[in-house]
Amino acid sequence: MIDFLKKIYARENSSSRDKANERLRIVLAHDRTGTSTHLIEVLKEEIIEVIKKHVEIDGTPEVTIVHEGRQSALDINIPLKGR
Amino acid sequence: MNNSENNGSQVIVVTSGKGGVGKTTTVANVSCALARMGYKVAVMDLDIGLKKLDLILGLENRVIYDIVQVIEGECTLKQALVKDKRFNHLYMLPAAQTRNKDDITPEQVKALCDEMRKDFHFIFIDCPAGIEQGFRNAISAADKAIVVTNPEVSAVRDADRIIGMLESAQFKDIKLIINRIRMDMVKSGNMLSIEDLLEHLCIELLGVVPEDKNVVVSTNKGEPIILNEKSAAAIAFNNIARRIAGEKVEIPDFSENSSFWSRIKTLFSR
Ligand SMILES: Nc1ncnc2c1ncn2[C@@H]1O[C@H](COP(=O)(O)OP(=O)(O)OP(=O)(O)O)[C@@H](O)[C@H]1O
Ligand SMILES: [Mg+2]
Repeated sequence: MIDFLKKIYARENSSSRDKANERLRIVLAHDRTGTSTHLIEVLKEEIIEVIKKHVEIDGTPEVTIVHEGRQSALDINIPLKGR
Repeated sequence: MNNSENNGSQVIVVTSGKGGVGKTTTVANVSCALARMGYKVAVMDLDIGLKKLDLILGLENRVIYDIVQVIEGECTLKQALVKDKRFNHLYMLPAAQTRNKDDITPEQVKALCDEMRKDFHFIFIDCPAGIEQGFRNAISAADKAIVVTNPEVSAVRDADRIIGMLESAQFKDIKLIINRIRMDMVKSGNMLSIEDLLEHLCIELLGVVPEDKNVVVSTNKGEPIILNEKSAAAIAFNNIARRIAGEKVEIPDFSENSSFWSRIKTLFSR
């Protein structure tokens, strides 16, 4: 029982640090590249439109900003339908 | 002061973006520590209009001239430099309180620093908060940069912006000081850890300074904290000074994550 409570307590407490890390990850990605969440959405829609003209898409495409050190890159993942 | 040593002098700017994170406290204590070690050190207050370095060093009553008067030719550099009362090799060039940050230019700061290089081993520039003219003046003459931040989202975001701007300004040597960390809060999951900050900012760590009530007490008295041997912040600032002087000083084991600390240790023993 005490172990159980400790776990709950730890989980609740870890949330503010985890939350801070999560928020920083997103905000720094946008700050560094001068992009907004909205721009990423627009990009995603337009990229999908172009791809769709030529191949069939399967599942949910993902467009995110990824980091390698202080360098940023646009990570585009578009699953294609197999025959 | 003598004019014999002009090679190997370093101009180091201490900056942060966000205000109130501990730039002036860092400049004051690290420069006192280096002066105590025997180096000739000058501190240049570029927070024109909002000066604080003279107060933190307890030198406010000795100020006669300021940096703007030197630049405008009203007095010589030698006349404006205030000698510290405790450390023989420490001098401060005061900021002007009644002038503005755009009353001086980056070129003028650079010329002044070049003039000072022959007399000092280290010249620290206390940068104002923000990313405007004051920041541009402060980084113009520097060879190296120290970015001070707190383990807090807004301070980290500003630090990231500043690091980006320093990189665009071709700075090759940018190091991080994490100030006001509380390991008890990190452990309970309520504060960003050292590891978290390094992961976000991706720059080399120069030092970690804990939150310490003694800092406020020293500031009240106008005494550097490094004179208080029992203070955790004093130990941290002394260690930072030794690392700046090229010594290999391990970051104390804050016992957060041993594998992480061993990585940091190898980083500094290279
Ligand atoms: N490690 C610490 N522990 C406790 N208090 C601290 C610590 N470091 C700094 N402080 C306090 O934080 C306040 C701000 O510090 P300081 O003036 O050095 O920051 P700054 O970055 O130079 O601010 P500004 O941007 O206004 O120039 C001061 O009151 C100082 O005493
Ligand atoms: Mg300051």
